[in-house]
Amino acid sequence: MTDLPRRSEAKEGPAVAVIGVTKLFSVPFQRRPVVAVRDLNLQVSSGQIYGLLGPNGSGKSTTLKIILGLVPPTTGMAQIFGRDSNSVASREAVGFLPESPYFYKYLTGEETLRFHGKLCGLRGAALKNRVGELLALVGLTNAGNRRLGGYSKGMLQRIGLAQALVHDPALLVLDEPTAGVDPAGARGIRDLILGLKQRGITVLLSSHLLGQVQEICDRVGILANGVLVREGALDDLLGIENQTELILENASPEMIAEFKAFVSQHGARLIDRGRPRTSLERIFLEATQDQTREDAP
Amino acid sequence: MNRPPHRAFSVGRIAAITGNTFTELTRLKVFYVLLLFALVLIGSSIFMAKLTFQQEFQVMKDIALGAMSIFTSLLAVVATARLLPQDIDDRTIYAILAKPVLRIEYLLGRLLGVLLLLAISIIAMSALFFLVLAIREQAVLSETVRQMSSAPSEQMADGLRGIRASVFSASLLPGIAIIYLKACLLASLTLFVSTFASTTIFTTVVMAFVYFIGHLQEIAREYWLQTDSAGWMTKLFLALVALLFPDLQLFNLTDDIVAGNAIPLALFAKTATLGIFYTGFYLLLAWSVFFRKEL
Repeated sequence: MTDLPRRSEAKEGPAVAVIGVTKLFSVPFQRRPVVAVRDLNLQVSSGQIYGLLGPNGSGKSTTLKIILGLVPPTTGMAQIFGRDSNSVASREAVGFLPESPYFYKYLTGEETLRFHGKLCGLRGAALKNRVGELLALVGLTNAGNRRLGGYSKGMLQRIGLAQALVHDPALLVLDEPTAGVDPAGARGIRDLILGLKQRGITVLLSSHLLGQVQEICDRVGILANGVLVREGALDDLLGIENQTELILENASPEMIAEFKAFVSQHGARLIDRGRPRTSLERIFLEATQDQTREDAP
Repeated sequence: MNRPPHRAFSVGRIAAITGNTFTELTRLKVFYVLLLFALVLIGSSIFMAKLTFQQEFQVMKDIALGAMSIFTSLLAVVATARLLPQDIDDRTIYAILAKPVLRIEYLLGRLLGVLLLLAISIIAMSALFFLVLAIREQAVLSETVRQMSSAPSEQMADGLRGIRASVFSASLLPGIAIIYLKACLLASLTLFVSTFASTTIFTTVVMAFVYFIGHLQEIAREYWLQTDSAGWMTKLFLALVALLFPDLQLFNLTDDIVAGNAIPLALFAKTATLGIFYTGFYLLLAWSVFFRKEL
């Protein structure tokens, strides 16, 4: 993967502001409408990775669609860098990856990026260079001439990310970016998102994969039945104020006994001790990467 | 990265969607319909060998123009009906409309892509039709020269002139242009129906009804209005039908062309204007629904 050029236009103020948004959907043959989102207020600051969490049907996708101007709110408003989301010009600054996107199967990866680039006003050499850059960024240079009908789920997500980045947006909105992708693919997408953050791109993503969100997000909001039930910086939400975690290496049983006594002497309490465990994901990645290396000619 | 400034309305964005729609339809192999047309044309010409040359060319024109009208209409409906529902089902529309693209630009691009496909199809069909006509003309001319070899040269010249006059007539091209405009109208109407229909099948079935009502409404109108008992209810109903459904019979100029009559310029201009008006009108209706559609 190669470097992505940093967004050229610096933006000030919150990247996304959702102000008092409620969305009702009317249901045929039913008097009462369904409440998808209720009195939602949230802000995403520039340069952050913001995770919108919630179970299926909690209103995550509807919120993203309101932010992108694809669905009008029943009450309230959404803004992107201070511009009303309903104005088409506000979308200049946004790239969007929908959930499980299919795109046009009959187009190759390269043609897909060219098409989306043209929609953003790119032409000629600038477009050609950008397409090459993005294919390299998402690791699809060798698959650029293949039709999307033959792409795997992970490849589709990556080409989806590339089309979302084609116009170098300052804000990237990702709806379930790793849904259905294998752990190695998910790791790739996660690394890519972290790389984008380093280049000043604001990322708003929705997911119900809590572990992944925890790894990359600066701030999270949790939606349940259309209501924002918790919101804040990840460190604030996860940290337990009066506890400290130490991880020791090569500690002998005698040293641990002394340490325990020392802790008691100073009025503190040792709550837990044990061996830190690696994650299943890490084992999976190591094993599959080793196998891939062995199979390579 | 240097990005061009945002334009409120962009021909470039429409052209991108038009090109993409054309590529999509081409790669879906919709041009196979041209093969069917060729089969109908060549197949029918085989069975006409026993007719007189005047009859043969009349029947050939009748069949070819009829087939052109049916195939372009079918192509217009089938190609357009799937565009919008499929984009919504596959969520491809989200990635497009989340970019700085107006909904009218999207609709216009989609429609123009279909119209481009229809234009190329009708040009190909016309070329094939003219080729078959020219081949048959040459065959009939050679046969006539052989049969009249002993006749006086003036008589032979008259005979050959008569054959040439019955093959190509000035009304063929305007007639084909009207067939194209009818297909454009149907494509635009199909796009409108697909803005509120949720499936391709529903759109296609509605369009099948519209097609028959559009062709039959003139007959029904004439029949009902001729009877003295036509009350205000009947008249209101007919007015509503006329308002909602285009009178497709107006676009049927085949009888004049087959008979070798020239299409009056005024009639051509009136029919062409009507076709363009309907196409634009249904596009605006499609936009009025799609503008507020929650995706």
